[in-house]
Amino acid sequence: MPETSDAPPESGVARRRLTTEGERDVLATTLVVVAIVVAMQIASAYVPDYIMPAPISIFEATKNLLFSDKMHVLITLARLAASVAFSMIIGIVVGGAMGTIGFIRPILRAIIVIDTGIPALSWMLVAVFWFRDPEVRIFFILTVILLPFYALNVYEGIRALPRDLTDMVESFRPSRWQVLRYLVIPHIVPYIFLTTKSVIGYAIRMAVFAELVASAIGIGSRMSLAQSTFRIDQVFAWTFLLVVLNIALQAGVAALEKIALKWRPEVQVR
Amino acid sequence: MTEQSLIKLRNVWKAFKEFIAVEDLSFDVGAGEIVALLGRTGAGKSTVLNLVMGTIKPDSGSITVEGRDPFSEFGALRGRIAVSFQTDRLLPWRTAVENAELGLLILGVDKAESRRRAQAWLDRVKLTGAEHKYVHELSGGMRQRVSLARALAVDPAIVFLDESFSQLDHVTARTLRADFYSIAKEFGKTCLFVTHRIEDAIELADRALILTQGANIALAEHITGAKRGDGRMVKEMHDRIAQAMGDADDDGDHASEQNGV
Repeated sequence: MPETSDAPPESGVARRRLTTEGERDVLATTLVVVAIVVAMQIASAYVPDYIMPAPISIFEATKNLLFSDKMHVLITLARLAASVAFSMIIGIVVGGAMGTIGFIRPILRAIIVIDTGIPALSWMLVAVFWFRDPEVRIFFILTVILLPFYALNVYEGIRALPRDLTDMVESFRPSRWQVLRYLVIPHIVPYIFLTTKSVIGYAIRMAVFAELVASAIGIGSRMSLAQSTFRIDQVFAWTFLLVVLNIALQAGVAALEKIALKWRPEVQVR
Repeated sequence: MTEQSLIKLRNVWKAFKEFIAVEDLSFDVGAGEIVALLGRTGAGKSTVLNLVMGTIKPDSGSITVEGRDPFSEFGALRGRIAVSFQTDRLLPWRTAVENAELGLLILGVDKAESRRRAQAWLDRVKLTGAEHKYVHELSGGMRQRVSLARALAVDPAIVFLDESFSQLDHVTARTLRADFYSIAKEFGKTCLFVTHRIEDAIELADRALILTQGANIALAEHITGAKRGDGRMVKEMHDRIAQAMGDADDDGDHASEQNGV
């Protein structure tokens, strides 16, 4: 049994090590990007433009798209934000119900398991038949794909609630709402951030895919147009923008996480 | 003492499947008394504590806390009892003062008043200046002090201590025990203190009840006189309790040697 004392803990060394680790990550990413650009430049010298355009052409196409197609980027982002927010809220409610209401747990779990087994493409095709409005189609597709992630992770979060903390809160004889407010909800916040970070890249891919199948506006539809007009530079440009978008969103979520979970110590495993 | 008893157990039995954890147990804890419930691992101490806290129901017999059944009238004892556990059980997303005010918020005390009382208790347990630190920024001893402040902030009539000092080093544990003792006596708190460490009981309790395997109270010993007596008296007390417990466990022996008992 470890014994503890009144001496305050130390964390300076760990923080220094983490800073170095962060710097190393940035350096590694920069090196990989440079290597890809160099490889593309070399490849473009040996193959036709419609197979591998030079990086400078892709850069030009990206610049043009940012001026001419800004609206499409914003529409994709708005669709993404709406469906992620909705999936998060309903996923938390469903996961919370699974974790706290015993008799409906098996039913909800069965629904979630079946949902996760249905391929995204099936939902896309079904949505085209079921809904006329493209916005509804995309919202539906993204929601049925993302919601199970939130529900399952919130459920796992509730299952992972430490028994000793539950007993401690219960010792004050709280109401059910107070248990949720002071214990369950704060405890599942890291799980919600983890889920968001995990699904954000997948959500972008699914949003673009859904737009390609079910909409005439948005990044997915513009990529389809670029492909049908043999503008491979634009296909690469959109791809590049999507990667940047993914990194930016991940960084945004990570920044929010840092603020919301400021209580959590940084831990480094050797 | 029976008429003034805040905690009464009469012929209590509790079994978990085939295992009898508590067998025909009866004892009282008087108002303002600090009673240590001593016993070796598996003697049923935690089961007794859970029974008295009302988190489990006895198979037979009766338990009353302030004249109420803690299990069937669970909500009626809201704010009347508080628990300090073996581990600090602090919520890591709350600062020290936010942890200390938790019980008050649950009891419906308004935010400003809860904060004021929590801060006062943190000051009382010598944590002034650490109120805005998160749990991971506090040492084990500081965390246990926050845990005590959280329990005492709700101004309970009865405090249950579940091995509250057993994970602290001996110096910190001794300081904290002394602090708790003075607070408990100053505010007239009734305490039931579960421990396997004899030195904890000698230093903190007015009376030690020894729970033996098979579950009867083997000895009810008044130890107030020995507590602040000379070393020989304390040694005698230690030996008598150890004898009643069977063989004193290693931790208890070791602790006593370190303290010159």
